Amino acid sequence: MRHGKLTPAALRKYGFITSFLAVPVLLYVVFVVWQYIQAFQISFTNSRGISPKFDYVGFDNFTQLFQDDVFWAAVRHHVVLLLAMPLITIAIALFFSFLLNLGGGQRNGRMVGVPGSAFYKIVFFFPQVLAVAIVGVLFQAILRPDKAGVFNSALGAVGIDPVGWLIAPGLALWTIIGVMVWQAVGFYVVLFSAGMATIPKDVFEAASLDGAGRFTLFFKITIPLLWDTLQVGWVYLGIAAFDGFALVQVLSVDRGGPDNATTVLPLEIWRNAFTYSKYGVASAMGVALFFMTLTFAVLTLRVTRRERIEF
Amino acid sequence: MTQTPREITRRQMIQRVGLTALVAGPAVGLLSSCATSSGSDTPSAAPSAAATSATNPFGVKADAPLEVVIFKGGYSDEYATQSHEPLYKKEFPQAQIKHQGIQTISQTLTPRFASGDVPDVVNNSGTDMLDGGALIGAGQLLDLTPLFAAPSIDDPSKTVKDTIVPGTVESGFGGDPAKPYTLNYVYTAYGLWYDAKLFEKNGWTPPKTFDEFKTFAETAKGKGITPYAYAGKNASYYQYWMILISAAKIGGNEILLNIDNLVDNAWNADAVKQAAAAWAEIGKYMDKSYEGLIHTEVQTQQNQGKVALYPSGSWLESEQAKDTPAGFEYAMAPTPSVAASDKLPYEAIRAAAAEGYVVPSKGKNPQGGLEYLRVMLSKEAAKAFTEKTKSLTVVVGATEGMTLSPGLTSVVAAQTAAGQNVVTYSLFETWYKELETELRKQTNALMFGRISADEFCANMQKAADKTKADSSINKQSRSV
Amino acid sequence: MATDVMPVAPNKAVTSPRPGRRSINVFSGLSHVALVIWAILVIFPIVWTFLASFKTNTELFGDHPLAMPQNFDWSSWGRAWDKAHIGLYMINTVKVVAISTFLTMLFGSMAAYVLARYTFFGNRAIYLLFVSGLSFPVFLALAPLWLTMKNLGLLGTHTGLVLVYVAYSLPFTVFFLTAFFRTLPTSVGEAAMMDGCSHTRTFFQIMLPMAKPGLISITIFNVIGQWNQYLLPIVLLPGDAQDKWLITQGIANISTNAGYEADWAGLFAALSMAIIPVLIVYIIFQRQIQSGLTSGAVK
Repeated sequence: MRHGKLTPAALRKYGFITSFLAVPVLLYVVFVVWQYIQAFQISFTNSRGISPKFDYVGFDNFTQLFQDDVFWAAVRHHVVLLLAMPLITIAIALFFSFLLNLGGGQRNGRMVGVPGSAFYKIVFFFPQVLAVAIVGVLFQAILRPDKAGVFNSALGAVGIDPVGWLIAPGLALWTIIGVMVWQAVGFYVVLFSAGMATIPKDVFEAASLDGAGRFTLFFKITIPLLWDTLQVGWVYLGIAAFDGFALVQVLSVDRGGPDNATTVLPLEIWRNAFTYSKYGVASAMGVALFFMTLTFAVLTLRVTRRERIEF
Repeated sequence: MTQTPREITRRQMIQRVGLTALVAGPAVGLLSSCATSSGSDTPSAAPSAAATSATNPFGVKADAPLEVVIFKGGYSDEYATQSHEPLYKKEFPQAQIKHQGIQTISQTLTPRFASGDVPDVVNNSGTDMLDGGALIGAGQLLDLTPLFAAPSIDDPSKTVKDTIVPGTVESGFGGDPAKPYTLNYVYTAYGLWYDAKLFEKNGWTPPKTFDEFKTFAETAKGKGITPYAYAGKNASYYQYWMILISAAKIGGNEILLNIDNLVDNAWNADAVKQAAAAWAEIGKYMDKSYEGLIHTEVQTQQNQGKVALYPSGSWLESEQAKDTPAGFEYAMAPTPSVAASDKLPYEAIRAAAAEGYVVPSKGKNPQGGLEYLRVMLSKEAAKAFTEKTKSLTVVVGATEGMTLSPGLTSVVAAQTAAGQNVVTYSLFETWYKELETELRKQTNALMFGRISADEFCANMQKAADKTKADSSINKQSRSV
Repeated sequence: MATDVMPVAPNKAVTSPRPGRRSINVFSGLSHVALVIWAILVIFPIVWTFLASFKTNTELFGDHPLAMPQNFDWSSWGRAWDKAHIGLYMINTVKVVAISTFLTMLFGSMAAYVLARYTFFGNRAIYLLFVSGLSFPVFLALAPLWLTMKNLGLLGTHTGLVLVYVAYSLPFTVFFLTAFFRTLPTSVGEAAMMDGCSHTRTFFQIMLPMAKPGLISITIFNVIGQWNQYLLPIVLLPGDAQDKWLITQGIANISTNAGYEADWAGLFAALSMAIIPVLIVYIIFQRQIQSGLTSGAVK
């Protein structure tokens, strides 16, 4: 970097670096960073989004937010979503991938899954290839609260009363998390299975010879060796949690109800921007969400830190 | 039915529907004409303007393209593509018409308003409609006064305003001072809808008081029929209409006026409380699952004879046309009376112009936008609308010679019975979307038993106070 | 059901040498039940949707929503096909996702490679700039983005959408590929450079093939993520560009329409049409997807 050291080799190197970074950085700055900077700017204005004119109002939008019950409900639900959805998905996916890859015990000197593993791996992945919009519409019929709902009539067949999946305020958010988990599990089963396949066989053989049972294999060997894969999954699920709002919008009562029981931050941003035309407030919420997610990401990466991935 | 539509519209609608409007009508008319003559509101600045003439009162440039955005909902958009747009094209054969039939009005148009590249006519409607108050506040809408003052297409000796149901102009008021920014095109009556055949078979009549309502509910329940239901998932506003109508019946139309004008404690009025309490009682007969159903699901249940009474507007029959079984006959009844001391009688119904059309002020062809609305208000266009959508328009006498469907026939009968007792519109629904959203939530909470009528009123008052105190929300008011 | 089993700690009793046959059997039995239940949960809604497309409203809203349809009437499929343009939207989606995933991977790996393997001023700043994009909700940028796209003349075009998809996929892609490139041995690249390979050739001919497993995994993530996109197309391919719409928009449109026309069978037919081809493609390629993830097993 220092002057006087620009040898032809160094020039070539910097030329190369520049040529490789130019397009991605340009795309990213134009379509992402620049837009976000504008959004930050808008959060300090009273912009209604439907007119080029606006005034700067300082932190008014933020003070308004912090006094708003709906905002705090949305924040709470978003935190629940951000923690529960990845946790549940990963827990179920780990359990299944363990069964499907190692659950069958040893055969011919290597670990195998339970019978039918290949079939399960294919089937579990199905929901992931369906777009979120499709999943939403599909579950609308499945989760209908009356007797004619698909789940409820199945329950009715064994004598259980209809469940208000999406109308019971205490249950609705969990139902939506359930749908997200339903969609995501298959992918992580396949991903973790892939991870398990890379664990050297002799590790398991050695453990088995030492008399380790399946639970030891799972907790003491599989999980630590899968740590990196788990981390990727966690981050990706954290991002996917943003998309939860599409499901909330399609599935919940009155978009976020009943009584704000399912509303999440992205939905409130949407509502402020497109229903109330309060772009300034919507952007302020976005900024709040940005710092929330950033905190979450930094914490996650610190907690699960590995030497290679730095932040 | 032998009764001709002309009789309906002329004799009944004019007198009854627009009663409040008629009282204030002349004054408003004078003001409007002043505004027009000053010329400040005509979009003269636009470069595309051509010379005005009797047949081209706004000076539309013959080859200027026109962009129309129609909300493709219960009325679909065929009336626009197959009638209104061709009629405009007949006037200006060189004009290119760009049509969009969409549901996501706000998501599609918000960024366009922000950038100044707006269509020329927007049918602002549906769940994802744009906040009308915000648009007016931002100066994005054209004052429609010149439209209503322009000569009518059918009879140039009359103004457009004279050919439509009184009250229509005022129902589209907004801003401060109030001006008409919205053309509400569809003449709509609201009430309790039922299957006349089912009621006949069981020897039922729609309940006239809330006491009768409860008795009826028991009877219907005994037959395994849900006495009353609405769709909480996406149509809780059907229910709040009923509550507001009841409140107006108890305390008079000024209850609604006060709510629109954000008058202090408007929601805490006794009339609102009583109405909320009465409806909450009816809510107890409704299965919890209705909160999670959408309107077409509940309407289909009604078609199957599983729901007796359903709150809706007069578009219902058209919306369900394809699925209404033979032998099902739609009819509409007024909302029941709450007490003998009610200011308006049982027969009073809400009838108002609805379904808004606006002309963005910064469009490329605002003259064309105004002209398009003038075309819509011709008898030919209005008749085509009624034929396609089975709904009446605000154009007087447009249904001449048409046979009315059973549902519309019963609407007409209800109007006749209502006489001058008409419950007026609520404008806060489009003026203050935030308040309206809160009302949806609170209505579900009330009707499904999570809050009491008192809490309902208190929560709504809190939301109204918040709206009033929020300086970022443009305030509107109305006096009629 | 999984959570019932998970918390069982690896205590001595369970992990004792040679666990008894009985405990193995109970465990396999329970785990089989869990697998079967989950398989049913996955398959059942999809099959039900398919069957529902043949049902009348009376059947759908009747007391037996689980019953088989009374007759297999394909008319709802015809209606949905005409109205929903499923075929067109599907082709559009495949086109957009294929191109944008390819470009995402190309640009993402280029940036990640440079960021992972070269030290230069601003390296860390650029890296952090990319990574911070992970925590911002896309649609906050919608309004400004719409304006930018319009000014660039890219609104309502697939080119514009592809560029935006690429830009918004870069944070995730760069984040993980940077980590991946760091794990590759440095010796090979250095040897190539010694042999006179240019930086560019080293990347394309040596490093990229070495990174193939990682690339495949991230590609799959990106395909799924972009296939699922709902918001960006709605805003960037507005209603006046209907022939350019993507499948998610088509479905959302039919779903809204169902709210006004009560054509439930048509809705389910449209859903089935959107689901079945994707499932078939997945089943054909599932082996590749699984092995792609296996060899890549994102490190």
